[in-house]
Amino acid sequence: MNKRTSQLLALVGVGALALTACTSTGGSTTPEASPGEAVSSAAPPAEKVDLTFQSLSDQPGAIAATEAVVKKWNAENPMVQVKIVPAGWDGVYDKLVTQFAGGAAPDIIHYEAASVIPFALDGYLADMTPYISEDMKSDVNQGIWDSVTVNDQIIAVPTELQSYMVFANTKMLKSAGITVPTGDTLKWDDFRAMAKQATTGGQFGLGWGLKSPTATFMSLGLGNGGVYFDGEGDTAKVVIGDGELKLPNEIMAMNTEDKSLEPSTLTQSGGDVLAGFYAGKYAMTVQGSYQAANIAKDAPEGFEWAVLPALEGTKSAAQSANPQTLSVNIDSKSVEQSAAFVNYFASAENLAALNTADALIPASKAARDLIAEQTGGKDGWTEILASGDHLEAAPFMKVPNYTQWKDTVATPAFQTFLAGQSDADGLSKALTDGWTQINR
Amino acid sequence: MTDTAVRPPVTTRKKTTTIARTERREAIALVIPATLPILIFSVFPLINGIVLAFTDATLRRNVESNFVAFDNFARLVGDTMFWESFRIGLVWSISVTVLQLVAGMGLALLLNADLRLKGFTRVLALVPWAMPPVVVAIMWKLIYRQTGPLNAIVSAFGGPTNTDWLANFDTALPAVIVVGVWVGMPQTTITLLAGLQQVPMELHEAAQVDGANAWNRFWKISIPSLRPIVAAITSLNFIWNFNSFGLVYVMTEGGPGGRTMLPMLFTYLEAFKSKHLGYAAAMGLVLVVFVLILMSFYLWSQFRKDKD
Repeated sequence: MNKRTSQLLALVGVGALALTACTSTGGSTTPEASPGEAVSSAAPPAEKVDLTFQSLSDQPGAIAATEAVVKKWNAENPMVQVKIVPAGWDGVYDKLVTQFAGGAAPDIIHYEAASVIPFALDGYLADMTPYISEDMKSDVNQGIWDSVTVNDQIIAVPTELQSYMVFANTKMLKSAGITVPTGDTLKWDDFRAMAKQATTGGQFGLGWGLKSPTATFMSLGLGNGGVYFDGEGDTAKVVIGDGELKLPNEIMAMNTEDKSLEPSTLTQSGGDVLAGFYAGKYAMTVQGSYQAANIAKDAPEGFEWAVLPALEGTKSAAQSANPQTLSVNIDSKSVEQSAAFVNYFASAENLAALNTADALIPASKAARDLIAEQTGGKDGWTEILASGDHLEAAPFMKVPNYTQWKDTVATPAFQTFLAGQSDADGLSKALTDGWTQINR
Repeated sequence: MTDTAVRPPVTTRKKTTTIARTERREAIALVIPATLPILIFSVFPLINGIVLAFTDATLRRNVESNFVAFDNFARLVGDTMFWESFRIGLVWSISVTVLQLVAGMGLALLLNADLRLKGFTRVLALVPWAMPPVVVAIMWKLIYRQTGPLNAIVSAFGGPTNTDWLANFDTALPAVIVVGVWVGMPQTTITLLAGLQQVPMELHEAAQVDGANAWNRFWKISIPSLRPIVAAITSLNFIWNFNSFGLVYVMTEGGPGGRTMLPMLFTYLEAFKSKHLGYAAAMGLVLVVFVLILMSFYLWSQFRKDKD
């Protein structure tokens, strides 16, 4: 009996040893990286450094542009070699969460401001403030810097921005007796009237892919003064008033009163809606500005289209700036070299090449001017670049629980509203109650 | 108990104890290689998960987690979104399990009948099993698409042409349930088929001689002999379905409007989107305990019937 107990004990002991072995390898032992003193260009390191750069570029042109930049850098900096690790936008948030938690995150991280801020708040991103060149600092407007600043630290360098633009089938507009609008901005009421006028005999005025509606409402809502959040950080509150409800209500009115909005597009993604746009099912569609590149490439022969001026709400033509960003992992073995690469990447020529390929708006003025010059404003570039002046930092980006609220509360609530299953009161109740529920 | 029953006579005791001791040592040596992986890969993560549920662990950088006793569970009680997903999870797993059983039974009876091309059809019934869940999900996404084949069939019979099955609030859950049934049918079918083949032909023949028709033979002979198998496969199916994740994650990600937010999906979002590891672990623990209670009750009632 005694023997059996001791053997059992031995067995448990072996198991426990194995377990402790397990846990001790589980924790990461990466040393704390210090931000270092202010340096504009990093001195070459004594030993060869290999950096990983997780890039999310998915357009063939943008992939080529990114590769070209990296190739040039690697040729100029033999001691600091950058390797691209391609990843996709889908599921990259979850991927970064596990990469950071497992201590396996890349040195240089490509993402977007709104989604990368939670990682900064969790302490995973290096402070870039000392590394950013003066030229870059003054060439990007303050609204955009605000969108990547957390606790007075710049945690990412903005590279590409998008705005929501109206794309029009000019042939259909003309045949409905509408002159294609020009000018700096397009008032929402004029836009709505145009959509109504263009709705004739089986054709709709507008197709709007609102399958994932939250980003659209957060961004275009700014033009009506719809900011959704009051305050910053953990004490922020969701506030739904007339400004916030204006855009959802207008869209529902176009759907149910004017009947100028193709209802099934409301549950489709932007890309799905483009197919119907090419097929002439609707005269206009609201899309991310980057779709200009796809339309220029994919539209059927003889398809006449234009990008209309930026939409103007009741207050302004503002949209939220949610730039794509490059950040540096705070646990990277060489934060300084990584930051130097990011600086290099964000030069005017590099940003211009990348943004031209993606049909996005560069964060820096110099790169914007370069694109205007290179493209001559064709394929909607004049309107798209002009909309860049209206981009501002939006309050939702400074709220740590925004992503969770967006996924579990806002997106379902907006979808329910757009499906006609709840009214404006139901929507605002769902949005505010959901926020309370998340922050219990 | 069995030990004392086989204990040898006193005279040879000393000799046999040495033999027994060596045997025991050998047994332990043989068991350790099998036990270690279980300890490391199953028991340790399980205990780790249980411990996590009582802490405020997050996925933040270099943050020490504290023991918070039952705080997570107290918070969970008032979490309406979790309980809503729990309800959806029950609707999903009960309907998928029941439909799997009914459809699987039908298919098993068909395959058990002495039809032509038996071997071929049996292989055909296994096809869904051979496909990875993500591939199945993407395939069904294409079928459910607005421009997909399902709408073509529905409209050919005069129905609406552009239902977006997975994005529509009323059809999303039924649509994923159909896929769940489809993908899980092979296991159920094969298990039931194996069970059906165990039923002695003599019983059927005897009943036939006594004038029992096909329905009566199925109900009075096949079903009672299948009961333990049905109990086993339904409880396994229920556990699998309640814990299912990949299929629905790929098809709807819990949408539209949370209509297909299964509890596992919700827990995943809590852990890897909101990074509340401790809270998510508490959710997982509640799910495990719930499934355990439900299963023990179900199996207990099934086997009590068997004894009667």
